[in-house]
Amino acid sequence: MSEMAAETKDLGLNQDIANEGEPTVVVTRPSQGGDAQSDFKRTSRMTLYVRRFLRRPSAVFGMVIFIILVLFALLGDKISPWRYDEPDFTALAQAPSADHWLGTTIGGSDMYAMIVRGLGRSLLVGVISSVLIMIISALIGTTIAFFEGVVEKVGMWLLDMLLVIPSFLLVAMIVRSSSGTSGWLWLTIGITAFGWIGYARVIRTLTMSLRELDYIRAAKFMGVSSFRIIVRHLVPNLGSVLIINTVLGVVSAVNQETALSFLGLGIKAPDTSLGTLLMNGQSSVLTAPWILLFPSAVLILLTFSVQLIGDGLRDAIDPYSRSAGKAE
Amino acid sequence: MIKYIIKRLVNYVIMLFVAISMTYFLASAFMDPRSNYMARNPRPPEASIDRSLDLANINDKTSVFVRYFNWLKGIVTEWDWGLSPDQEPVGPAVASRISASVQLVTISTILSIIIGVSLGVYTAIRQYKWQDRALNALSTLFLVTPAAVLGLLIVLGAIAINNATGTRIFYVTGLHSYEGGNIGLSILDFLQHIILPTLVLTAIGYVNYHLTQRTYLLDTMNADYVRTARAKGLTLNQAIRKHALRTSLIPTTTNIAFSIASIFTGAVITETVFAINGLGRYFVTTINDNDINGAVCIAAFSGVCTLAGALLADILAAWLDPRIRLN
Repeated sequence: MSEMAAETKDLGLNQDIANEGEPTVVVTRPSQGGDAQSDFKRTSRMTLYVRRFLRRPSAVFGMVIFIILVLFALLGDKISPWRYDEPDFTALAQAPSADHWLGTTIGGSDMYAMIVRGLGRSLLVGVISSVLIMIISALIGTTIAFFEGVVEKVGMWLLDMLLVIPSFLLVAMIVRSSSGTSGWLWLTIGITAFGWIGYARVIRTLTMSLRELDYIRAAKFMGVSSFRIIVRHLVPNLGSVLIINTVLGVVSAVNQETALSFLGLGIKAPDTSLGTLLMNGQSSVLTAPWILLFPSAVLILLTFSVQLIGDGLRDAIDPYSRSAGKAE
Repeated sequence: MIKYIIKRLVNYVIMLFVAISMTYFLASAFMDPRSNYMARNPRPPEASIDRSLDLANINDKTSVFVRYFNWLKGIVTEWDWGLSPDQEPVGPAVASRISASVQLVTISTILSIIIGVSLGVYTAIRQYKWQDRALNALSTLFLVTPAAVLGLLIVLGAIAINNATGTRIFYVTGLHSYEGGNIGLSILDFLQHIILPTLVLTAIGYVNYHLTQRTYLLDTMNADYVRTARAKGLTLNQAIRKHALRTSLIPTTTNIAFSIASIFTGAVITETVFAINGLGRYFVTTINDNDINGAVCIAAFSGVCTLAGALLADILAAWLDPRIRLN
């Protein structure tokens, strides 16, 4: 793809970068101690970030919802008399009642217990694969940009080549052969294996301007090893972009998990995830709508809250963000 | 220009070849057609299983490289994409489903672009006003809602409407059900089927155009030449329409070109929810049937779509943006 087209594709993939019209670089400075005697009180970077984050009601709202959901996934099964893998054969496809708080599925599984379990699985897959994706894409993206020349050419060609076949199809092929209990692991591996490519391209674009900076050149001329420059200088200086992308990456990972499980290719019984629950709900949309409605609500809450947190973080830690207030 | 396009094309063909070969090896490694027969009761004799698998060129006892070269030879010499485990040729199966997929995505793609771009312009001009915030919140909601959830909720709503009115306004499965010869009725029938999936695909699709168009326009609105236009005495609206909007449409155009492929994969879920026999649903079938040749054929088709989109994007960008020189 031509340079211009590649740029615009990057922009399309990642809007926080598009905001500035050109690749932005985030420079973090080591906090300086020593001048504590001076009269004015320094606002530390973290305080600043937290303050900016809290200034946005939507971000705080997202954070609260997300924490509640995590607690629900961790502790929800403690208060329920039913377990997700213990069907109650005396109550098949029953509407919500005092006995089964959110009703039961056609197979008699308690919806409440299933949702707690499914939410846990979706969160696990989403968070782990998003973190792994960002680690891999940060290392590969910066490496490709750092070495320039042939490495960059070959690397970019390979990345473009890997993007030719939609990753969704490839993930589906890999996770298909997985069994019930290890399904979530395969799903995480699959989403990670094909999810990093687009991000690596974005990070390479960002690194292109970073690699020209003096401290990188100084490090190079001082004889610091390439690997060390990448890990100690390049990656940390993309920190805020990486954090934001990791958070927003959870949304797309959860979406992928849901889509694959919904098609019956991801997590399978006896294990369960929110996508698997949706698949179950689809077959009984008329007779037992609660099987569909509750997991849908939880899913939307999950992805929406993570997105709100991501947007809030972007405004809080991205130095180019416009929401920090204007000094005019 | 033509030299440039040919150079691109050659590069893309090589890319496509490597990507499809990779997919073939991946599919061969992870899909196990033998298990189709092993699960049958009574289990067929091993010799007969082997013969069926050999006929389709998917026997795991043959070396994967031998299978790969047989498969490649079939495509190059006879444009034969191989057989499914049930000995059905996969090429015609894919071709017959392309039309359903095209019918499904065409209207929604056009709607997504129109709605998305106009909303992007509308909200960019009103940045941080309540309209901007409200529409942004709505788009964010659609952005994060999984396609399956959206589709199923719309089905639920449509059924409720059908029940409330007592007539069948919306059909929730398939693309056609009318069998007669009346053209008016068959168009009406098609519309009754297509409206719900179109709603889902548009809701998912427009968001990207909205958010990116907004960003692009905001970027160009602060550019020097827009300020110059304002200084010359143009009103804000004129300056935006004549100067800022034009430039900001260039990246959107390339976005549209790229979306050709994502339209296709985005429809997998929608096709499943609405039981539409398009490529997406066929892909799920091939995966479930361990149909290596079928899955690779679909992957190859979507790969062609991706690269066609990329090439189109290159050409469009060069054509629209005088700053880009092709060489």
